[in-house]
Amino acid sequence: MAQTQTTATAVARPAITAFSWKSAGIAIGALIVFDVLINVYERLYAFSKGLDYTSADYETYWMGMLFAELVLEAVTAAALWGWLWMTRDRALERLSPAEELKRYWALGLFVLTYTYAAYAGASYFTEQDGTWHQTVIRDTDFTPSHVIEFYQSYPIYIIFGVGSLVYAMTRLPQFAKAFSLPYAILVGSPLMIFPNVGLNEFGHTRWFMEELFVAPLHWGFVTFGWGTLAILGTWLQICPRVMALINHVYYGKPIQSPVEVMKDPSSSCDPAACAAGAM
Amino acid sequence: MQYSQVDAEARAVARKFDWVVILSTFLVLIAGFHVHQMLVAGDWSFWVDWKDRNWWPIVAPIMEITFPAAVQAVLWTKFRMPIGATLCCLGLLFGEWMNRYINFNGWTHYPLNFVFPETFIPQAVVLDIVLMLTGNWIVTALVGGELWGWLFYPSNWPMIAPFHLPVEYQGSLMSLADVINYMYVRTSTPEYLRIVETGTMRSFAGGVTGVAAFFSAFVSVCMYVPWWLMGAHFFGSTKFFKTYEAAPVEARQH
Repeated sequence: MAQTQTTATAVARPAITAFSWKSAGIAIGALIVFDVLINVYERLYAFSKGLDYTSADYETYWMGMLFAELVLEAVTAAALWGWLWMTRDRALERLSPAEELKRYWALGLFVLTYTYAAYAGASYFTEQDGTWHQTVIRDTDFTPSHVIEFYQSYPIYIIFGVGSLVYAMTRLPQFAKAFSLPYAILVGSPLMIFPNVGLNEFGHTRWFMEELFVAPLHWGFVTFGWGTLAILGTWLQICPRVMALINHVYYGKPIQSPVEVMKDPSSSCDPAACAAGAM
Repeated sequence: MQYSQVDAEARAVARKFDWVVILSTFLVLIAGFHVHQMLVAGDWSFWVDWKDRNWWPIVAPIMEITFPAAVQAVLWTKFRMPIGATLCCLGLLFGEWMNRYINFNGWTHYPLNFVFPETFIPQAVVLDIVLMLTGNWIVTALVGGELWGWLFYPSNWPMIAPFHLPVEYQGSLMSLADVINYMYVRTSTPEYLRIVETGTMRSFAGGVTGVAAFFSAFVSVCMYVPWWLMGAHFFGSTKFFKTYEAAPVEARQH
């Protein structure tokens, strides 16, 4: 079906400084520093205080950390997601192209931060847990490596992933009135790795003490990890709209209005435009 | 003059978006591919003694052609970029080395030559080249998938060959990798004894590797097809589900 297109002859351009890496640099830099410090903490206290679940030291150094991080994560998630929702744009139909382009940049940095956190959780800390389990026989589900991996690194990427999705749904016409299948998978599928910890720990508690990493008990993590591939579909939705916005803002080419995008978001993401629009 | 400045700004903004897409895709593919790999073939990757002639050439290739096929499906069909497999395997190798070096070696002090990961880079380059030359994913599945399975063991052989040298230890004939294994008893040691170098055909010595690679290549072909389709039609989908509010009136009445 042919789409109505609007043309603007005089379009405000955002300042080039609007497309700064600063916020992502701060967020990812902070996460890297935090991850390094966590590694230092593990090296200091995992083998020295984390081998006997019944000891007082374990309670202090590891269970104390577990409870503290769970509270902090819940508060951070509620604050971030709540703030994003409460400050949502209630007049998206009047969104200017320049502002929309800046918001896509912010979303890109949000997604980039999420992907770093996902890398740290699903790749680095998950195989680090393998390092621990290949070396130590567990006497609890809350091993030092689990306190870091399951209950810290996974919630961190969930906070950023869901946060980015809420940002998109509250500030961008493309995601405001429709639910993106790939974006939902990109965020929701790795998110489900965290609840799957319940199955994993129950299995290890009930019938599977050893740490054969390829054991079927672990395959829930695998299936949910596949969802990361949905970043391909997510960018295929976003890139054509970003290209259209750049072409409109900088070259004055026609573009669909926010109202039209909200009415039929599929029309704004012709994948061919991503390749054909190369500048 | 004015146009040139606008053009330069537009290009700069577009390039910045390019980098966001490239970096985020690379990072999240490491996350997904690595968690997949370590939990379906990880034990063979962690330890040199697990890198045997029988199971390793089967398990590792057939489980790791998955992400490359799915990413190829999008990067090739949408962008004509024949780098999907190499991108995935490069990311996987990065994720593996980060942990092997910092944690297996740096934290729990296993020697690096005991815990180095396998490489899929040569097979990935071949898979990408087959797709680029043929432009056809079915041919890539048939030819590239076969090569993926066949090439895995020989391309890793230079790294593992020294550990397959026979030695006599306490009156028994074993490989150097076995000796290292018995020096470093791990929680996976019981599984090693149950799984690695077992089976009725191992008495044929080197012959078992060819059979394993043959089988591996066959299954790699079979795995490539569904993963290409999932990449193209599910993970690479641009589907939107409309909310009730945004749906047409006639749709709401049903």
